[in-house]
Amino acid sequence: MNAAIDNHWYPVAMISGIDAPRETLLLGKKISLGREDGTCWVLDASGAELPTVERFGHLWTSPGQPNRDLFTIPEADSPGRRLVDVGSVKVKCSPLRAVENFLDIAHFPFVHTDILGAEPHTEVDRYDVKIREEVDEVWATKVKFYQPQAAKSAAGGITTEYMYRVPAPTCSVLYKTCPPRPGEWDVITLFVQPLTEEWCEVWPWMALYDDESTMSEMVSFQQLIFMQDRSILENQLPRKLPLDPGMEVPTQADMTSVAYRRWLKKIGYTYGAQLVAA
Amino acid sequence: MDWVAVGLKEDVPPGMVIPSRISDTELALWCTPSGRYHAWSDRCPHRGMRLSHGFVRGDTLACIYHGWQYNEAGSCEYIPAHPKLTPPDTICVPTYACAEAGGVIWVSLAGTDMPLPVLGGRVPIRSLQISLSAPDLAAHFGAHSFTTIAVVSDHEALLAVQPCTDRTCMVHALAAPDADRKVVSRWLEDLRATLEGVPS
Ligand code: FES
Ligand SMILES: [Fe+2]
Repeated sequence: MNAAIDNHWYPVAMISGIDAPRETLLLGKKISLGREDGTCWVLDASGAELPTVERFGHLWTSPGQPNRDLFTIPEADSPGRRLVDVGSVKVKCSPLRAVENFLDIAHFPFVHTDILGAEPHTEVDRYDVKIREEVDEVWATKVKFYQPQAAKSAAGGITTEYMYRVPAPTCSVLYKTCPPRPGEWDVITLFVQPLTEEWCEVWPWMALYDDESTMSEMVSFQQLIFMQDRSILENQLPRKLPLDPGMEVPTQADMTSVAYRRWLKKIGYTYGAQLVAA
Repeated sequence: MDWVAVGLKEDVPPGMVIPSRISDTELALWCTPSGRYHAWSDRCPHRGMRLSHGFVRGDTLACIYHGWQYNEAGSCEYIPAHPKLTPPDTICVPTYACAEAGGVIWVSLAGTDMPLPVLGGRVPIRSLQISLSAPDLAAHFGAHSFTTIAVVSDHEALLAVQPCTDRTCMVHALAAPDADRKVVSRWLEDLRATLEGVPS
């Protein structure tokens, strides 16, 4: 038992994908889950019932006693949005590396070439990063980046503005300029289920304004992006995320990652973290 | 420490980078457009990405994750996210002594004063992975050092042995220029079968 790790809500399934009962791993321990009469259930290895929440298209549970409700995403409730269950991808890396990669824009021109970024538009301008103490979340705002095709609904290159939010250690919410509706934000999330310290299941979920693309087009777009990220995530050494400075070299563009690591350390979240230099 | 064969020249054409290893040391092996070879630690100092997934641009090796470029000395000289910044000298990749001789790429992890192995005009035939540790392979030929070349009576072949894991090694075989490549190659496969205890 480690309260700092166990007392969080974790995504464990996409609700629309639960047919038969099944087993999975959460923080290295076996759990089982299923749905009966429209309600989801989760059991730990001893058969004891775990708490559940059904939200954002996913089933959430906790092996501990969460001391707060699952975070909210008020923007996602506004009418007219298409809610997209992207599905899942299993990745051989620390759940924390998966989140950190999601917070990173500097890789767009090299990893998502000609989609989310393209040379020579590689510069990352200064943006604002803060740990919002009142809600205990990491926030990065005023993040701007030139993108050849920011979304399935984008017609050509635009400078996209982003906001990033880390409301829980293995979850991130991204708000980005919405091509068809200037002034509104598309919501793209990354919910990460820690299977073990070096293996995770990633559940992206989106709430978008897009009347043009079909559901499967939006899903394939996001899946393509994530496959590109996976080729990176499975090839970083060490697999765990180093929390102490020294092993890796951040620059100004990495301010969000620096804040994320610092926040994890502050709240004692060490699952999937590398604490001593290897 | 001795020179260890880490690959054949033809595996790393100019402008290419490939992964290789000597036991637990993972390497990014690359060749500049003008044909100079480099063997580096296979880890980018920025965020730990394998440099062997990167790309050669001019005389630099660039990391695939954020495009940081490292010059031939291993020092970071360009960070695309900050094009106007001159990166501090402290950002560098550990590099190892590396040279090409006789169509084989050689690396010495600890640095060495020893001359490169003498190959007697032989040319590379092929590389073959064998499920046997490098010391066990050397012992089979009664050789005392496994990193240098075991001389074999058949076909006047030379075997350059690259230790990979506790149970595997890579054998880079060379033979006289006029040797029949198919025959030597076949002999090598038989040798592997014998060493691995598999009936051929
Ligand atoms: S990890 Fe190599 S450039 Fe960022
Ligand atoms: Fe990405």
